[in-house]
Amino acid sequence: MATAIRTRSRAWERALRIAAYLTILVALVLTLFPVYWIAANSFKFDIDIFAVPPEWVPRNPTLKHYDEAFIERPFLRYALNSFLVAVGTTVVSVTFGTMAGYALARFSYPWQWRRQISFWILSTRMMPPIVSIIPLYLFFNYFDMLNTKSALIIAYTAFNLPFATWMMKSYFQDLPIELEEAAIVDGDTRWGAFLHVALPLARPGLAATAIFSLIISWNEFLLSLVITLTEQSQTLPIGIAGRVTQYNTYWGEISAAGFMACVPIVIFAFIVQKHLVRGLSLGAVKG
Amino acid sequence: MASVRFERVTKKFGEFVAVHDFDLEIRDKEFLVLLGPSGCGKTTTMRMVAGLEEATSGDIYIDADRINDVLPKYRDVAMVFQSYALYPHLTVEDNIGYPLKIRKVPPEEYKRRVSEVARRVELDTMLKRLPKELSGGQRQRVALARAIVRTPRVFLMDEPLSNLDAKLRTQMRAELKHLQHELQVTTIYVTHDQIEAMTLANRVAVMNKGVIEQLGTPREIYNDPRTLFVAGFIGSPSMNLIPGEVKDGVFESAGLRVGGAGRVTIPRAVLGVRPEDALVTAADDAQANLVAPIYSVELTGENTLVSLQLGGRLMTLRADKNFAGQIDQPAGVKIARDRMFLFDADTERRVDFKPEG
Repeated sequence: MATAIRTRSRAWERALRIAAYLTILVALVLTLFPVYWIAANSFKFDIDIFAVPPEWVPRNPTLKHYDEAFIERPFLRYALNSFLVAVGTTVVSVTFGTMAGYALARFSYPWQWRRQISFWILSTRMMPPIVSIIPLYLFFNYFDMLNTKSALIIAYTAFNLPFATWMMKSYFQDLPIELEEAAIVDGDTRWGAFLHVALPLARPGLAATAIFSLIISWNEFLLSLVITLTEQSQTLPIGIAGRVTQYNTYWGEISAAGFMACVPIVIFAFIVQKHLVRGLSLGAVKG
Repeated sequence: MASVRFERVTKKFGEFVAVHDFDLEIRDKEFLVLLGPSGCGKTTTMRMVAGLEEATSGDIYIDADRINDVLPKYRDVAMVFQSYALYPHLTVEDNIGYPLKIRKVPPEEYKRRVSEVARRVELDTMLKRLPKELSGGQRQRVALARAIVRTPRVFLMDEPLSNLDAKLRTQMRAELKHLQHELQVTTIYVTHDQIEAMTLANRVAVMNKGVIEQLGTPREIYNDPRTLFVAGFIGSPSMNLIPGEVKDGVFESAGLRVGGAGRVTIPRAVLGVRPEDALVTAADDAQANLVAPIYSVELTGENTLVSLQLGGRLMTLRADKNFAGQIDQPAGVKIARDRMFLFDADTERRVDFKPEG
């Protein structure tokens, strides 16, 4: 009897595990297939892109579209712009978000100000970005900043900073405060305790915030479309969208540029992945 | 070389008064223990010395310097936290050396002092490890080493032993006492464990609800409790507190009558008897103060704890390890004449009481 129950539960466990793997497989196919399809198309001649039945693997691979996009058209320039804007936004948002998050997590405020300020910061994210496009356009126009990368960095930071602040705030709140107190009693200043103790321990939070900010600004389309018009300032998403023209849609170029646009983000995610793992503060307190 | 002085210090958190009108002087090289239940204000008191809390009013001095407005880094105190608060991203060596690094001690001296202190707490083979690779006792030693690596004016210890298991705690207690004797640094030690307080302290300040109930040597606190709170808090098993009333100088409770409080009358009084200050005798002993049935008999090894059913409560006494009484049998109790304490339950103060023999 007991054996029967055990066998059944073991079979059940196995079925569950297979179901779990199947679910993961479906999710993987759903997310990875489009990426694969872009990559495959980027290596095909135009005529093969539209082949029926579809050509799953490029039969006559070519680098023609890469040549068109990156040599003949200014996609390298767009990529550089995207890179500068994304990195600039990330550095600014993470720097200020970290300091603001720390201040909100650690300092004492009279009455309910901590909540009020936090909420106020978050509330700037509540409206859809499109609402602010015309004011932003007028603002940058007034300061003669249209068609500049700095305008994009400022605009993106405005949207990323609340998120970075909240993320870092919750991260600092999870760190035991005694560690910083110990540093202060050991002779450090508040700033020193932040720099030497809190910040190194917040590395996973910093990594997560940075990835988020980088991806958002790398992918951003709408603001960039409105604020920038020149080759010197436009980012990759705008450049790619520009290949959908009145007369033709250049799927090959779009695929080549789109595929290359994925690469930096994937590399960056791989680099910071290990910092994303929590648990660095394990063993700090008791245990 | 430092004394610490509190003058009329009050600390409020919002409306809550954590420490109330607090006066205390901790002498140079003294080991002073702040003892009390959780929430009594003992940790807050210590944190005010460290500079982690600001006093709402009053003055705190280290020697002649008023330190209320001095930044923690200039106070020159070292603290051991209850949670140890080791820096998880730094090795044992860097943890111990942190206070030196902040003070920009030259590398040779840094190395020398860290290894010297590590040897002293027997961590010299683990300098390259991270805190998470250490056992509880070892982490505790790292915290201790970080505090003694420089010679601060005052040591602050916030329940440093409470996270250790019983055996390790006894061992570390002895080491702490020895260390303080060697280093001769003024120490303020916070605990809710009265055994720690009794064994470590030169003087104990028993705190309750933000005020000092009694300040004295462990012996004074134990033998001469001034208030009902101190009487009940110190001692294990705790003092038997028998409620009753005093009429014309005679304490009366169910089955117990002792005279000796002069001619006073106290409507609500409490008689205190320590477990070891009474003898369990035969029920027919003519000299017994009271007779009551045995509720339980517990052999601890060195002696036997006998609980008697006295009215609606239990009275616990320490008897010989060969005590042979059985549960439900009646037993007599002979209380040592000079070891009875009488308290007024309303004021919670001790009342002068000399039982007539």
